[in-house]
Amino acid sequence: MVVLREGMCPGLDAGLLRNLRAADVKTVEDLVSSDTEELARKCSVSYKALLAIRRVLLAQHTAFPVSGADLYEELLSSTAILSTGNPSLDKLLDSGLYTGEITELSGGPGSGKSQVCFGVAVHISYRLKQSVVYIDTTGGLTAGRLLEMLQTETSNTEEQMAALQRIQIFRLFDVYSLLDCLYGLRSGGLQQASVGGGSVKAVIVDSVSAVISPLLGGKHNEGMSLMIQVAGVLKTMAKDFNVAALVTNHVTRSGSGEVQPGLGASWSHIPRTRILLERVEPAAAVSPSGLRSATLIKSSRQVREAASTRTSCSSLIALATVREANFLISCVSCSV
Amino acid sequence: MIRVLPSDCEYFQSSRSFKSPRDNWTVVHRSTLELSPVVEAGLSQQEALQVLQAARTDAAGGGVTALELLQKEAEIKSIVTFCSHLDKALRGGIPVGKTTELCGAPGVGKTQLCLQLAVDVQVPQCFGGVEGHVIYVDTEGSFLLQRVVDMAAAAVRHCSLLAEDEEQRVAMETFTVETILSNIYMVRCRDYEELLAELHLLPDFLSERPKVRLLVIDSVASPFQQLFDELSQRTRLLNSLAQRLIAMATSHHIAVVITNKMTTRLRSGQSQLVPALGENWGHAPTIRLLLHWEGPRRLVTIFKSPGHMDATVQYQITADGFRDTDQSEQPQSKRRHTQVDQSAASC
Repeated sequence: MVVLREGMCPGLDAGLLRNLRAADVKTVEDLVSSDTEELARKCSVSYKALLAIRRVLLAQHTAFPVSGADLYEELLSSTAILSTGNPSLDKLLDSGLYTGEITELSGGPGSGKSQVCFGVAVHISYRLKQSVVYIDTTGGLTAGRLLEMLQTETSNTEEQMAALQRIQIFRLFDVYSLLDCLYGLRSGGLQQASVGGGSVKAVIVDSVSAVISPLLGGKHNEGMSLMIQVAGVLKTMAKDFNVAALVTNHVTRSGSGEVQPGLGASWSHIPRTRILLERVEPAAAVSPSGLRSATLIKSSRQVREAASTRTSCSSLIALATVREANFLISCVSCSV
Repeated sequence: MIRVLPSDCEYFQSSRSFKSPRDNWTVVHRSTLELSPVVEAGLSQQEALQVLQAARTDAAGGGVTALELLQKEAEIKSIVTFCSHLDKALRGGIPVGKTTELCGAPGVGKTQLCLQLAVDVQVPQCFGGVEGHVIYVDTEGSFLLQRVVDMAAAAVRHCSLLAEDEEQRVAMETFTVETILSNIYMVRCRDYEELLAELHLLPDFLSERPKVRLLVIDSVASPFQQLFDELSQRTRLLNSLAQRLIAMATSHHIAVVITNKMTTRLRSGQSQLVPALGENWGHAPTIRLLLHWEGPRRLVTIFKSPGHMDATVQYQITADGFRDTDQSEQPQSKRRHTQVDQSAASC
């Protein structure tokens, strides 16, 4: 909704503006959608002048079609693919996280979503030397864990400290603070967060379901609208600033008992790529193992097999011991 | 988005279109060029930007870099459990600023550990403790005063044996059974409404008493296992409860410890013992400890933690409280009156 203001286009002076307001025409949409003849009579201005103003305003505010070739050129120059640090996960994601898109990681408790997010943050800040914004809504982030992961990459303390400085952390626990934070980032915060060289290349929200699920369902309708608002801000931020958005989600059980990502069908359209993480329980072991499996459940790039409901390309990611704190790869089956 | 603007924004006070029935001001996050009431109020773009900036900086604090967070974390101490193996697995003890959940079958020792933590949080700082007060929310009536007295006496005895220098001796004068008991704030909640109401009032309570370092809710499962009209309402209430707990833990620097029960789940024809309150609740606590039996032994397993390795540790409940096991495998018993005095051997 763009408000009509003085000097927006030649011919729109203070007097005409006052007359238009009196006729209840305050925004560009009101002007364009109203009957020009009647409006000209009401505001005692010539029909031609009003028509000229209308044409200029339309020209200023219309969206312009872009040819596919130009769009492709622009995408080639602006999109980056960020590796997650785990080669088999990269293969699942078609070589990594794409900037300008939202990627979702879902999984049950203890399935490794936060660990993957830590790994991505550490990899981008240390290897790619770019900044990362990490929004933590569950309280699971400890800088000590990030340091542990960095210590396996390098033993040089200065480099570790420099990498830690490139990770900007926000801790918020309700959806309004999240929206505040995202709007703040979109309107200038991202530039401020690009300290220590390197621009912000990824925004990680862990987790988005923790703040939205208390509001969904029941008699409240605001939950759905807040969820779509969050999605909208993340998408525009990803597109305008060329960052990769990574969000985590919880899982629920469908009617047939199958595990599916949470937040419902409306949210399922938002991320471009969705990955489901699960614990792998080896039959003989008594204690919990460090192995997790990642399955691609939605992708606009990878091929899905017709027979099964999930893509058959899955890989095992071993969450290693505290000493290693790295991701070991063990690609068991990868048939596309 | 409802936000009350600072009082120097008299522009908004004068503009009628901003007053909602509740007399709050709505700040819509759009570019200032599009904010029509702003223009009606006669603001220039600069002034409008300033107002929006002021409104925005009141919001959730700016971010910190991971380096600054690391420095802050180095200063935060954990609450020891007096079971050295568990403390080692948790790298210090129950972390302050996070929510920890204790799940287990009845009688395995959840309430014992909660009572032990209520005493341990008050250990003076010169002994490596946190020296904080504790709020104990009891929903089942399992708070046993005599047991707390026994544990407090044992802790005081233990620390006075360790006191070496002057500072520690001075601290021991204030670390007595009476002061320990006086620093425990006990609240009894009978159902989920009382529990939620209590949690609503807690932030104000915590602001008045900045020395509180531990909140124990024993247990969070019993009020929510009552009949609910619809299960989705229970899930929503639990989710918002979880967010409120972690928000309190982070903003007031307290450790939140909640107790959960076990329930049976049938999956593909087999029954399994899992923590109650559903799978969704599993995301809520930051750290989950499972206390279970293995024959006569009691074990505690860390089975969810973003910062610790999964580990299993053996413990025992003695007359003095929650302790390490002896090297000699004594047959364990739930009832404390069969125990021999083992305070010297533990830790």
